Amino acid sequence: MTEARRSISYIRLIRTYGTVMAGVLIILAFSLLSPHSFATIDNAINISRQISFLVIIALGATLVMAVGEFDLSVGAMASMGGVFAAKLAVAGYPIFFVILLPMLAALAVGYVNGWIVTRFKVLSFITTLAMGTIIGGINFRITGGATVFENIPDSFLYLGQTEFGDIPLLSVIMIFMTILFWYIMTHTALGRKLYAIGGNESASRVAGVRVAFNKNAAFALCGMLAAITGILMASRLGSAHPNGGDGLFLNAYAAVFLGMTSFKEGVPNVWGTFVGAAIIGILANGMTILAVPTFMQDVITGCIVIAAVLMQKLGRGNS
Amino acid sequence: MSLLRVDGLNKIFGQHYALSNVSFEIGPGEVHALVGENGAGKSTFIKIVTGVYAPDGGTIAWKGKPVHIGNPGDARAIGINVVHQDRHLIPSFTGYENLYLGLSYPKGKLGVGVHWKEMKERARTLMETYGVKLNMNKTAQRMSPPEKTMLEILRAMMLECSLLILDEPTASLTDQESEQLFELIGKLTQAGTSILYVSHRMDEIFRLSDRITVFRNGKHVATVNRQDTDRDGLISLMNDNEYKKANREERNVPPGKPVLEVRGLSSEDGKVNGVSLHVREGEVVGIFGLAGAGRTELLETIYGLRRKSGGDIVIQGKPQSSASPRSSLDQGVVLIPEERKRDALVLGMSIRENITLPVLRKFSGGLKMRRKTELREAERWMADLKVKASGAEQAVGQLSGGNQQKVVFAKALISSPVLFLCDEPTQAVDIMTREEIHRLLKSQADAGGAVLFVSSDLQEVLDIADRLYVLHEGRIAAELPNRDVSPEQVLAYCFSQGKDRES
Repeated sequence: MTEARRSISYIRLIRTYGTVMAGVLIILAFSLLSPHSFATIDNAINISRQISFLVIIALGATLVMAVGEFDLSVGAMASMGGVFAAKLAVAGYPIFFVILLPMLAALAVGYVNGWIVTRFKVLSFITTLAMGTIIGGINFRITGGATVFENIPDSFLYLGQTEFGDIPLLSVIMIFMTILFWYIMTHTALGRKLYAIGGNESASRVAGVRVAFNKNAAFALCGMLAAITGILMASRLGSAHPNGGDGLFLNAYAAVFLGMTSFKEGVPNVWGTFVGAAIIGILANGMTILAVPTFMQDVITGCIVIAAVLMQKLGRGNS
Repeated sequence: MSLLRVDGLNKIFGQHYALSNVSFEIGPGEVHALVGENGAGKSTFIKIVTGVYAPDGGTIAWKGKPVHIGNPGDARAIGINVVHQDRHLIPSFTGYENLYLGLSYPKGKLGVGVHWKEMKERARTLMETYGVKLNMNKTAQRMSPPEKTMLEILRAMMLECSLLILDEPTASLTDQESEQLFELIGKLTQAGTSILYVSHRMDEIFRLSDRITVFRNGKHVATVNRQDTDRDGLISLMNDNEYKKANREERNVPPGKPVLEVRGLSSEDGKVNGVSLHVREGEVVGIFGLAGAGRTELLETIYGLRRKSGGDIVIQGKPQSSASPRSSLDQGVVLIPEERKRDALVLGMSIRENITLPVLRKFSGGLKMRRKTELREAERWMADLKVKASGAEQAVGQLSGGNQQKVVFAKALISSPVLFLCDEPTQAVDIMTREEIHRLLKSQADAGGAVLFVSSDLQEVLDIADRLYVLHEGRIAAELPNRDVSPEQVLAYCFSQGKDRES
């Protein structure tokens, strides 16, 4: 009997920390295969910079998933943040407004997403899919379909290209955002309410939680985080493409789903998302170093997401 | 010869015996009641004989021969079917489609298309056999609770079924609806089907069953003939302690100030239609009505979950301009919803998180949650209400029904309410928890609070209400002080369409 119980607790351990362990294994594997290029401090810093965009956009997706909804417009919203900020920068606005206005715009669009979902009971899947299309169209209208890169002032590049010693500002922002949202989700009444809504919307309403208000807040924050991601990307690259952020969307959800398999079983959580994004980033980095062809990278990343989700089912039985 | 016979049945979860050495038998064509408090092992037993769980020991004999029931398919194949408390129907499917769930549809000439005519024909014969009238073209979601129950029973009878297990079949039915079910049960037994009837409701058990088996803490306590026992005898078998008969004790209601005054209240969807009522300090007021009378809707409109289209709600002298759950809670009004799992609890969250959800403000200092204070408060309420759990951090979904209901009450009490709105507060909880809940409601009233509760169990209303309203089609049909009121009187108002009141 004790043996049976021990094996159950092993299974639980794997279920809770399996994804983290898999991450460690992936790092070990790459370190063995490529000790001189992968396993270096420089590369670690490099990875932290590369994943900063994915982590921040995925934090937003985590909030929306915590209330049991989807926001499929995050990619377009990130693109919007980028082109809007770049356009403002080129037009010579002070850097404060260059950053703030796109954030507020995305906050508003996110709020509208939430409002349509909560007020008219439209599926968030449909609402945000359509909103993503609309934003995508607007992005092309703003830029005329071209990349914005000429006459971008240096002040705009500060965010994405500054390094303190060896540490990129981007990585610092990413860590700061992760801790901030971890705190919000676990130590504030707002976080508790978001999780309650995701756990049981009807019961939350009866318990006096203002469901629509809090859901709208989650959508608005998600939009804002997506815009921040886009601004940072544009600042890093010194250019903004009307669909430059679109590619982040699928990976953002992959990160959240990977994260749901760690720490808190089946619940979107901030550190889980961070680990998920890190795993995706490390895979991309390591496989590029090993010269794995891009198509193969996609196949492997997809397989790992499925494997992580399957691992969580381990020992669940059929019940 | 017995139909089903179990010998020395064991089932172990962890170190806990859910069933231990259970032996008894069910005869052919009998209604065999199975009773016991929540956690006595009734559900486990059902799951074993229907092949959901494998027993850890013991044997099962079916019609005299030992059998192995490895999965629910095996059980159905030999003729054991179960109709659960929570219905297993597909909401968007019609009666016909639900009837054929899990069976192969009769095929048309080409062997591909569904042979609808044959399907309907078979359903019709089945309904005729058991005297059931049901519009099978309706989708399940548009059927009333009794219609759904009938449909499920019919589905069980689609295959040769010798033992039909009914698990709390009347939990969501009104008395009048239950009658239809009892009639059907009579027809089934006449046709030779045995019924294993699991229920908390004593009057039904004594009315229907031939024999009664009592479980307690996973053990078989006794199997008795109905004639050889009575309610008190049965309850003392279910419970170790001597059980005191639940009689109504006259409470002295002080003529307190009104806590709730409702005048001409109507809901936007018309389910509540010009209701006026009041509840005073220290009063327990019951609302009784048949299903569809608008009982739940009335409470929800008062609480602000349902939009009102007219009328006034006054709480402690203060008119409520815009009712919402938040403002109700702030005024000291709490609602205990009927559907515990759907509306009252976040099952994946801990007991602590559930209890404090309505009063998060109380525990957030600035931005931060004050975790320690929160935990202390949650633990205090758990102790007060005797919630059995491994601790405040245990997920509510892991608790038994009775303990979940206690968490619901803790969650309501934590906001120090002046008015309790309870919708079916004791539905599907065991008799001891039921007593505790009744005591709790009374003690709320004794402490100067006001209680307004809805129950489809007339006995319950007559047991604990000081005053009662009879609701009929969204209107108040009668207001009665609970003195020498007979069930017949109350039911008369339910059917009288409130004619005498109109004048």
